[in-house]
Amino acid sequence: MSTTVIKQDALRLAIEKTTRLISYLLLIVLAVTFLLPLYWMITGSFKLQTVTMAVPPEFFPSQPTLENWSQLFNGPWPIWRWVFNSVAVSLLTVVLVLIVSSLTGYGFGKKKFPGSNILFVILLSTMFLPNQVMLIPLFLLVRALHLTSTTLGTYFAMAMPMISSPFGIFLVKQFCSSIPDELLDAARIDGASEWGVFTRIMLPLLKPALAALSIFTFNQAWNYFMWQMVIAQNKFLYTVPVGVSIISRTPASGKMITDVGLTMAGGTFGALFMIGFFIAFQQYFIKGITFGSVKG
Amino acid sequence: MSKIKLLAREFRRSWSGYLFIAPGYLAFIAFMLVPILFAISLSFYKSSFDISARQFVGFTQYIQLSRDPIFMKALVNTIGYALVIVPTTVLISLIIALLIDPLGLKIQAFFRGAFYIPGVAGGVILSVVYLWIFNPTYGLLNYLLGLAGIKPILWLATAPHSFQAVCAVVLTFTIGQPIILFQAGLASISQDILDAATVDGATSLQKAWFIRLPLLRPVLLFVLATQTIQVFQLWEVIYMVTGGGPYNTSTSLVYLIFQTAFLNGNYGRASAIGVVLTAIILVFTFIQLRFWRETDI
Repeated sequence: MSTTVIKQDALRLAIEKTTRLISYLLLIVLAVTFLLPLYWMITGSFKLQTVTMAVPPEFFPSQPTLENWSQLFNGPWPIWRWVFNSVAVSLLTVVLVLIVSSLTGYGFGKKKFPGSNILFVILLSTMFLPNQVMLIPLFLLVRALHLTSTTLGTYFAMAMPMISSPFGIFLVKQFCSSIPDELLDAARIDGASEWGVFTRIMLPLLKPALAALSIFTFNQAWNYFMWQMVIAQNKFLYTVPVGVSIISRTPASGKMITDVGLTMAGGTFGALFMIGFFIAFQQYFIKGITFGSVKG
Repeated sequence: MSKIKLLAREFRRSWSGYLFIAPGYLAFIAFMLVPILFAISLSFYKSSFDISARQFVGFTQYIQLSRDPIFMKALVNTIGYALVIVPTTVLISLIIALLIDPLGLKIQAFFRGAFYIPGVAGGVILSVVYLWIFNPTYGLLNYLLGLAGIKPILWLATAPHSFQAVCAVVLTFTIGQPIILFQAGLASISQDILDAATVDGATSLQKAWFIRLPLLRPVLLFVLATQTIQVFQLWEVIYMVTGGGPYNTSTSLVYLIFQTAFLNGNYGRASAIGVVLTAIILVFTFIQLRFWRETDI
């Protein structure tokens, strides 16, 4: 009797061990597959033009060169300006989204007033609408107001479709409802004004939600490609994704085809900022994604 | 008490609520609600670059769309993309989440990050390298397939392959988010249930199939809904990699909106396409919401 139990246990242990080994192997194979394009881009940026077109391809650049990178930095493209534009647009978007979402989310979450339900439902119902539908009227608005004639106007125009983020308002509202009313009432009894309750009690408590929302919005604003491309009037107003897409479509000087190495350097340059940003703020990314969807 | 006094008291109690929502709600009205309504009205007009010279044409735009083979291709492709990409994304990310779940916290975080990184890099950046990978003569993909004895394929220039190529690019960056969601869902499953199963002699595969998967149902529905909405809006990869070609076999509704509105300046027609897309997404979301209510998320 006892020997069969031991045998069963040993068998189960062996099964567990093999399962674990197989899952590790599978995970590594999958991770390599999904990261291969990025690896190919980064190593490609260190390959000479002839090497990028070699068959069979070199999996690791045998003669690494900085040629592409020097071409990228010294070429006709104002790449640092693109970075500045992307950072400016993304930060502006984050600031506006934070103001709008915290005030409005708090209003819907903690305030009772006639019509609040219907107003909130209207807001929420637009969350699932495709963005592109409203881009046409917004584009006509931007054009009518001549917003793109100045740099600041361009930045504002690029941030415009994201300002009233139903997702952000929804997130803050959800977060507010987890905070007990007694806390706010206590502050009111102590003589705090409505504004004081919001700034001194509510905002500090909302910090984790707002942090996640900021990171999430920054990433979203950075990659809001269609709108940025439509708005950017000249190469000094491009954002990083727009600039990279233009590099990848511009033939190398005197040739019919694009310069693969240069394009890979541009792509790597563009990817590095967001990847660095992600690694620095990984936990906020994950919070932003899981808020409101998984009850933890 | 008179009615006015009652209203005044009601207002005194609630005015701050209106003040708090005012800035955000005004922004919402100005930058979302009015544009959406304007787009709907625009779809009943014929209009080119000069928007003030638009002409009311009733349902003409919609009737023309229904007879337009390119629009029909875009419509079929958009649904096709969703049918291919969404289930594949869900399946792969679910498998990865299940594989990651039993590992240590640090290794979990590492793999979660690794699969999410292509997504933060963005579709444009990935498209740039995929253009090179798909090159028929010196691309990596045809080389690797060649090792397996498969003849070179003109990925971006021949009919079913350009569609497949777009799917492949999109899959690289859609799996990151669902993995995080599934993993959070798995982590919230009570350890007691799993321990009880272990005591009863369940292997980890059995636990995955009989306990983890059924408990993930609400997360699964959320992922399905958000992914489908995202894939319905697919365009940047198409713009970067195939240009919708060859012969519009890889085009999508949003790419068609982009071309019609921002390249050709045909705002009325583009708005009509947008309204059709919105209707499709609304119908889909409605079905999803019904599902949610039934499963009591």
